[in-house]
Order: sequence, then C-alpha cells, then structure tokens
Amino acid sequence: MESSELERFEAVVLPHLDAAYTLARYLTRDADDAQDIVQEASLRAFRYFAGFRGSEPGEGRAWLLAIVRNTVRTWHDRNRHHAKATEFDEKLHSEGIADDHPEASAVRKSESEALREAIDRLPAEFREVIVLRELEGLSYKEISDVAGVPVGTVMSRLSRARRRLEEALCLITEDC
Amino acid sequence: MTHAAFEAQLDAYLDGELAMPEAGELEAHLRVCAECARLEQRRRTLGAALREHLPRYEAPDTLRARVRAGLRRDAEPAGAARRGPMAWRALSVAASLAVVAVGSWQLALRRAQGEALADQVVASHLRSLMAGHLADVPSSDQHTVKPWFNGKLDFSPPVYDFAGRAFPLLGGRLDYLGGQPVAALVYGRRQHVINVFLWPTGRGVSAGSGDFTRQGYHVLHWTTPEYTYWVASDLGLAELREFTGLLQRGDSAAR
Repeated sequence: MESSELERFEAVVLPHLDAAYTLARYLTRDADDAQDIVQEASLRAFRYFAGFRGSEPGEGRAWLLAIVRNTVRTWHDRNRHHAKATEFDEKLHSEGIADDHPEASAVRKSESEALREAIDRLPAEFREVIVLRELEGLSYKEISDVAGVPVGTVMSRLSRARRRLEEALCLITEDC
Repeated sequence: MTHAAFEAQLDAYLDGELAMPEAGELEAHLRVCAECARLEQRRRTLGAALREHLPRYEAPDTLRARVRAGLRRDAEPAGAARRGPMAWRALSVAASLAVVAVGSWQLALRRAQGEALADQVVASHLRSLMAGHLADVPSSDQHTVKPWFNGKLDFSPPVYDFAGRAFPLLGGRLDYLGGQPVAALVYGRRQHVINVFLWPTGRGVSAGSGDFTRQGYHVLHWTTPEYTYWVASDLGLAELREFTGLLQRGDSAAR
C-alpha cells in the first residue's frame, strides 16, 4: 500500500517538479534556496498526500505549488530576523512605496535584463501571481487556491503587477 | 468604471477569464476608446516580452535525485507508522467537513499549514525560554498584562490568572507567527513554562484544531469564534489538557 501511494505520488505530483522549482526560484531569487524549498515542500506534500483527493490533471500541480508557496512563507518567517528576509514583508512593499527605478540613471539595459530586474523588485505577492499566470498558465481560480486569496484579489494583483512591469519597461524603451 | 477597474477587467479579458456579457461590453468599449486600445496594445507587448524573456527553470537532476531519495526514506515502514494516525485524523476531519464545498486538496493543504505553524510555535516557545526572552511584561497580575497589549496589537487578548489552580500567570509578550504579530501569554506549572499564542480567528492560517508533538514538546491547537489558540509546553499532556480546559472554560464564560 505504501509503495502504491508512493507510485501515485510520483505519477500525480512529481511531474510538476519543474513548475515547483521555477516558482521557488522566483520567490526566493536564489538557486540553492529554491532547491531546499522544493525538497522540503515535496516531502511535506507526500506526508499529506493521503488527504489529497484531486483527480484532475492540473490539480496535482496547483496543490504542489500551494505547498511550495507556503514553504517559502514559513522559510521567510523563520529567517525573518536575517536582513535578507525582511524584503518579503508584504506590508512594507505592497502599498504606496514607489520603486526607485535604479535603471533610469543606468546605461540602457536589454529588455530582458530590465524585465528580470523588474520582476525581482516586485513585492512577493505580485511576483507570485505573475509567475503562476505567465509561466505556469494557471487559471485565476487555481491561482486563488494556490495563493489563498479570492479570485478578485488575484485579478487586481495581476493587473497592478503588470502595470508596474510596464512602467519598468517603458522607462528603458521610452515609448510611452 | 474607474480606470483601475477597467484595467483589471482588461487583464481578465486578455487572460480569457472574462465571461459574457462583460467581454462583449469590453470589446465594444475598446473599439471606441483610443486610450483603452493603447492600454490593450501595451498589455499585449508586455505579455509577449514576458513569454520571450522570463525563463522557466528546470529542476536540476541533483534536486530530482534528492527528492526521490527523501521520498523513499519517508515511505519506509517506520515512516508509515509515524504517518498513519495523522492521515486517519485528516480523513476524519475531511468526513466531518464533507458538506462544505471546499476543494478536495484544500483540507490536506490546511493540515500541512497546521504542521508548518506547529514548527513555528515550538521555535517561538524555545526562543522564549532563552534568558530574558520570556516576557516583555513580566507580571502575575492579569490587570497589568492585558492593558500592556494596548497599542501594540489591534486586539485585546483575554488574560486569566489561574494561580488558584496552580497555573500562575507569568507575563506576556509580543510574538510573530504565521506572518503576523500575535499575543503570547506565559503561564507556569512548577518549573514548566506554558506559552499561549493567540490571535483573532479568521486571520492568517486557519488549521482547524489538532495536537502535535515536536522535539518532545506538546503543541495543542484550537479555534474559538473569537480567537485562534496555539499552546506549547514541555508539561505532561494530561496536565497541559487540564490547563487548556481552564482556558477554554474561561473563554466561553467570558462570551
């Protein structure tokens, strides 16, 4: 029974390891940390797999991503006394703080670099909806399940995140 | 419609998430509003740029190997015995909530969140035991401890003195759990310390209720209509339950 449970897990959840790693990479902005997160999240997912009754193909992915996302949260909370983690504090970043657009004064950067920097500077809750939507193609409902917020919040976060990214891009392309 | 609302609707439309008739109305509006059409064009440009420039990473082979090895270790019989009662409990919770329309996996997720929070609770408990960390307001007087939280939290936690039942109040402090500031109340039993963490129900992670054991510490968790409680101590389980019973009775009497 145990081995069949493991087989079911490997069939339903493990195919989404790339998605898990991608989300962890963007949320932690660090390749090593992302590996640790995915390792921990996979084990956590396996331990609670008995309670997982999803059968739709996409559900295993949304479920694993939700656990990755929560693992990053607890990991940030645990490390929050270290300076590096304070930037995850949503209250600090989510409202009304203007980005200081360092590239405005810098030499022209490639669009690709500018975009990645802009993504890295987004508050975590904006970054996660962008990754889940643009890279993973999750529906609003799935994103709402993963992030644990209502669909309306997903919608407004996506919109605000995209607006910030456009602003960052416009600064370098100067076409708006 | 405000500009921000239109923008959000436009995003939903471009994401294929806007239903009729809203989608039809939005299309009609785009045909007559040049500014909105420019906004749409910018969004499409951004979308193309994101798809072109944002890498999707592949999990390194070393990570895949680590994950598989970890899973096999965990699936061994010893792991199964450890996991057994937990799965059973998750199922019984699932059964009692079956009428509630939640996604099938959300229960399992909530359970996982509870486990993660239990880790944090024990970490906070251990931190509090280090010299000088136990209480910001060391006092056995509930009328000193309770007002101390004024202006530090946006709720006023119920504070009791169970000295008569040999669980004296030792003090209170601010703590941080599940991504938010919470009240921590400290009670004692002989040389044992009991940490009570609480915050208003409905905030942060809600894991229902449950018992956990971490590194020899007991962690008990329950939720009342007003507050979410987490209690941690090295006290024996029977005595700890006597204490949580007092807390729960005190709370229901206060209601």
